[in-house]
Amino acid sequence: MKPEALAKTGEPRPGEPTSREEGARKPTKRRDAMVLSVLPLYVFTFLFVIGPLVYMLVLSFLRRAEVWGVTLEFTFENYANILKPVYLKTFLESLKLACLTTLLVALFGYPFGYFMARQNAAWKRRIMVLLMIPFWTSSLVRLYGWIIIFRANGVLDGLLMALNITNAPLKVLYTYAAVVVGMVYALVPFMIFAVYSSAEKLDWQLVEAARDLGATPFQAFWTVSFKLTLPGLLSGIVLTFIPSMGLFFIADILGGNKVVLVGNLIQEQLMKARNWPFAAALSVVLLTLTSIMIALYRKISGVKDLEGLV
Amino acid sequence: MKKTAIAVLVLFLFASLLAGCAKKEAQPQLNLFTWEGMFPQEVLEAFTKETGIVINYSNFDFNETMLAKLEAAKGRDYDLVIADDYIIETVISRGLAQKLDKSKISNFGNINPIYQGQFYDPKDEYTVPYGAGVQTIVYNDDAVDIDIKGYADLWDPSLADTLGIIANHRVINGMALKVLGESYNTEDLDTIRRAGQKLLELAPNIRIIKDDNLQDDLLSGEIDVAVMYTSQVTMAKLANPDLRVVFPTEGIGFGIMANFIPSNAPNPDAAHKFIDFILRPEISAQCFEWLGYYCTNKAADDLIADEYKDFLTLPEDFTGDMEMIRSVSADAEEVHTEVWTEFKAACGQS
Repeated sequence: MKPEALAKTGEPRPGEPTSREEGARKPTKRRDAMVLSVLPLYVFTFLFVIGPLVYMLVLSFLRRAEVWGVTLEFTFENYANILKPVYLKTFLESLKLACLTTLLVALFGYPFGYFMARQNAAWKRRIMVLLMIPFWTSSLVRLYGWIIIFRANGVLDGLLMALNITNAPLKVLYTYAAVVVGMVYALVPFMIFAVYSSAEKLDWQLVEAARDLGATPFQAFWTVSFKLTLPGLLSGIVLTFIPSMGLFFIADILGGNKVVLVGNLIQEQLMKARNWPFAAALSVVLLTLTSIMIALYRKISGVKDLEGLV
Repeated sequence: MKKTAIAVLVLFLFASLLAGCAKKEAQPQLNLFTWEGMFPQEVLEAFTKETGIVINYSNFDFNETMLAKLEAAKGRDYDLVIADDYIIETVISRGLAQKLDKSKISNFGNINPIYQGQFYDPKDEYTVPYGAGVQTIVYNDDAVDIDIKGYADLWDPSLADTLGIIANHRVINGMALKVLGESYNTEDLDTIRRAGQKLLELAPNIRIIKDDNLQDDLLSGEIDVAVMYTSQVTMAKLANPDLRVVFPTEGIGFGIMANFIPSNAPNPDAAHKFIDFILRPEISAQCFEWLGYYCTNKAADDLIADEYKDFLTLPEDFTGDMEMIRSVSADAEEVHTEVWTEFKAACGQS
């Protein structure tokens, strides 16, 4: 493995002109074994990742049949359809919600992850367990928990009215605010873990050094800690932003179906309107958009390694 | 030592596999494919006890999923399917259903004729109805100032942010079509667009759009008025008998669920037996009280308990004059989707 890796990454130095061929010839036996052992992975990837993607891409250029299924007829119609204002708006709406969610998640998640990394080992473990416990229940069930909190005369209303802050039910459930809370709740752990894992690796002596050299606490944080935890924050952003473009059931359950995201549209086209090609086209566009987003992040941040994510 | 242990284990596995096969062959099967919870457990058990036929109940969430599976299996795998009217029309047109052998269904005559001869099976060759639903308006009298008589009243400004509707685009768009005096199934694209404009005016009144458990929101006071399915009306009325149920004056579109036997069903005999079994009046009554849909078995009407009668059986003077929602052309369907998406987004804005 080693010689080959070197050959690939390192510039061929003058002294070893044939290192590439040599590297390929020597460990053939080992390589055969390696190929055999990773073969299932390739087959799996091909069958369950590439295959469906190609299928989706092909489907997006077909036309829906009159009653059921699709006809083998090439068309750009589905993509043209997406340009209608009503569907473009769903993309904008998704983008808006995803940005808002990501911003809020970063605001809550970053400090949490950062200070979690500064606790001693016992507390780190305890906090970790507390963060993990909710994952033992299905996310759907947890969302239903929010319904109980938000609904008219529910937990939230009861509390606010008992404290004399409000005197009538707030009707929070089935509003945009409820959707945002649900999204932030569902995604904030990803941010916390991402920030935590990079803050944990942070060498605190560097911060101390900065302080010794006269930096204020904020300066030390901004110039040293923040820069060094940036990969964690960015991978947290990717981990939050991308699912929030696609999460549709939160808008369904907490938003009363009134916030129409691309995910909702795809689901409805597939399950109810039976327009599979259009659903496929929407998915292709969504996929392209999110890929562009990732590329942009990497470009802007200059971080190649998003905590081993991308 | 280890090898013998493994060999013994493998042998055991094979033995149990064979035993499993043997058992399966000995007992006749019925592969029933429908939504979850269509029958009370006692009815299924009684059938197995009487006939010795074991029921394998598998379920689907959407009619569309059912059709996709049936298509993939080329009409094999399942013996009996219960699904909605419009999809059965497609199933039959694609040759995925087989004609019933009525000589094996002695209780065929019990079916309420109002639910027979419908568009999906005009000669009643393929299907036996099992429950029908309408979309009705249910409201909480104390919280609503106006007297709601039909769909048009839902547009009343006094109902701002109090209305919950089901998430079925054809039903809701159809509601606007009916208010405009048009047919549910119009293929005229401009008419559908006009209905869309009309729907946008309804947006400020909408609080929830959802299919599941809408009755809970009505009961908890989250909404005061709901347009919902018969089964939900049943549950709401059982929990709160004071709720008012309105059959919209604009006309009701029944949705009918029906049994059919797939074209290459492995055990059609078992399927016929089951259909005949659930058509018995006393079994039917038990099923419909549990299911909460309109009883499609005339012989069972009298057996249904009084507290359910109001919403499980039709009024005496009911003529059956109703329009059902049917599949429309791809173009019309596309405009319906567009109108619906726009409407939902508008509900979120207001």
